Amino acid sequence: MIAAAWICLFAPLGAALLITLAGQRLSRRGAGYLATGSVGVSFVAALVTFALLLGDSPGDRSHPSTAWHWLTAGSYTFDLGILVDQLSVFMMLIVAGVGFLIVAYSIGYMEGDDEERRYFAYMALFVFSMLLLVQAGNLLILLAGWGLVGLSSYLLIGFWHDRPSAVAAAKKAFIMNALGDATMALALFLLVQQTGSLDFGVVFPAAGGLSTTVANLVALGLLGGAVAKSAQLPLQTWLPDAMEGPTPVSALIHAATMVTAGVYLIVRTSALFEAAPKVQELSAGLGAATLLVAGLIALVQTDIKRVIAYSTMSQIGYMFLAVGIGAYATGMFHLMTHAFFKALLFMAAGIVIHALAGEQDLREMGGLRSFLPRTYWAFLVGGLALAGMPVFSGFFSKDPILSSALAEGWYGELLWVVGMVGCFLTGLYTFRMIFLAFWGEAKVSDVHAPVKDVPGISLGVPVAVLTVLAAIAGFLQVFELWTPVSDWLDPVAPPLVVPSTSQEVVSSLCAVLLGLAGIGIAWWIYGARKAEAPASLPLLEHKFYFDELYDAIFYRPAVLLSQGLLRFVERPLVFGSLRELGEGMRELGQATRNLQTGLVRTYAFAIAASVTVVTVVLVAVR
Amino acid sequence: MKGPDIVWYLAVAAFLFTTGALGVLIRRSPLIILLSLEIMLNGANLALIAFSRFHGQGDGQIFALTVMAIAASEVVVGLGLIVAMAKRRLDLDVDKLRTLRG
Repeated sequence: MIAAAWICLFAPLGAALLITLAGQRLSRRGAGYLATGSVGVSFVAALVTFALLLGDSPGDRSHPSTAWHWLTAGSYTFDLGILVDQLSVFMMLIVAGVGFLIVAYSIGYMEGDDEERRYFAYMALFVFSMLLLVQAGNLLILLAGWGLVGLSSYLLIGFWHDRPSAVAAAKKAFIMNALGDATMALALFLLVQQTGSLDFGVVFPAAGGLSTTVANLVALGLLGGAVAKSAQLPLQTWLPDAMEGPTPVSALIHAATMVTAGVYLIVRTSALFEAAPKVQELSAGLGAATLLVAGLIALVQTDIKRVIAYSTMSQIGYMFLAVGIGAYATGMFHLMTHAFFKALLFMAAGIVIHALAGEQDLREMGGLRSFLPRTYWAFLVGGLALAGMPVFSGFFSKDPILSSALAEGWYGELLWVVGMVGCFLTGLYTFRMIFLAFWGEAKVSDVHAPVKDVPGISLGVPVAVLTVLAAIAGFLQVFELWTPVSDWLDPVAPPLVVPSTSQEVVSSLCAVLLGLAGIGIAWWIYGARKAEAPASLPLLEHKFYFDELYDAIFYRPAVLLSQGLLRFVERPLVFGSLRELGEGMRELGQATRNLQTGLVRTYAFAIAASVTVVTVVLVAVR
Repeated sequence: MKGPDIVWYLAVAAFLFTTGALGVLIRRSPLIILLSLEIMLNGANLALIAFSRFHGQGDGQIFALTVMAIAASEVVVGLGLIVAMAKRRLDLDVDKLRTLRG
């Protein structure tokens, strides 16, 4: 089992190295097959690990494994170690499984790009980093994986490096993530100082013994990392810009896996968060705020990928809400179904963009239903799952989150109301997108011929598989009636709230009705065109002025400061002093050159005189 | 110990050394300067040998032998240079050889 887990971890890294080292000797297609194959190996290894873990007794499913001692500093030792337990296997299956489908999809999507090999090497590197993150056996390895996914995300967002906007987006994502990495690293420093270790097995039992201040600081630091990686308020602005990357990248990194790492982190370190209940409530509050803000902004976006990006932020907001109130397994279940339907939506959007030769603007689409019928159905299934309509997967995973909130006192009820508004908004923006893109009059006479709804095996099969998964994956856990996911994950992170049946019924009913209302309004305005949408909503179009705010608070002062430093410090002091130093040396040389007369006898006299003086002085002093 | 007191030896050595040093400082012909250098070295050698006898140890004598070997090599090089200068019909005057002036 442990061997399988190690294979799962290192297969993609091997592929990334091979593709990088082989260079031109590997054909472009070969690089794609190699990357896909390696992630496939990972998935099979994850399945094997899962199957073997099933054979263990439920109380004995946690298996740490150490490859070697990585770092030794004084009495601290850090191992390159992994932990195989229910939670990490759950994530391994999602990462490798969805990753496999998306890398396979990339073979078709990236065909003809100039730098396919680099792309596939980065993709494989990402899968490795993500697996390292979820399999890490101590917080230091987790932080290493955390940083590596940030790096691969940066590389892939900026993949089309000849586009200035892509480069700017990559930088933005990296800097925002670095902020989170920093707070997380600070939390780890504090943990090492307090507990003397970063091993899960040592830190978590010690969490209860930490003082309130320390527990709060540690949890805040970890929350900072989670918020940055998962694009939650107030560090959310990088995610929409990250859509500059290729669409499969958006599907894999910025929807299905990396951005959900924050949720995973909170569940994994739930012991630390439970020692700081206020911070945990804060994470639920941030999630609720994000789901509302992102849902509102999504209403006015015109770029199809950005709509999906904002819906991702919104859905991760639901997950933060869930783990913030302690409904861990529920949050992880939503993470899984979200990975399916959001990857599906992105990949279907990718086919649409491909078919329209790069067009991403919803206003330029319309009537695509007749050109791309199969893609339309896939998109519809993804949209229904996203809106949480019954029998689709989102329904089974989103509603328990809301009913758990209802079971959490007045604070939970507040969150529940926000979540309900979110349900309405989700239905509205999702179906606005679908109606705008697929209904109405066709704005194009025909689509890009080679992909006219025959997207090829590489594009079509993964989308088909994900369509099925998005439709049926919800049945893995049906409320209280059938709960394999909760049973599987609860030993790792026991839930803090369990909703009652009546709360579940009320909550689900409200959620579905509000979702339907959202869909209905979307149909009324964008489908049937019986009403006009408000012409302009400046607050939403400017994304609540977050970018402008950060620009004013951080960017402009930094620019002013550096200009001032250049003018008043750099030029006069640094540049000036260097020039002065050079001039001074030259003058000194001019002054002393006359000492060199070239007369041998002068030199001899100087030596003799000096020796005499030195001797006399030495003798006199004695 | 037989013979004169060590002070006499040292006096002769100092006289020789000073003579050589003055020669180096005053004379301008490279040949004479080389000669004066030899006189300085021999003054030093005399002092070394005198002390060697005085202390009854062989170290100073061995050191003096080394100095003689080095002096011989130095003279070979110096004379070679002087011969080369004479062949080029340069003035044999160290005050005129001042191309290394700063």
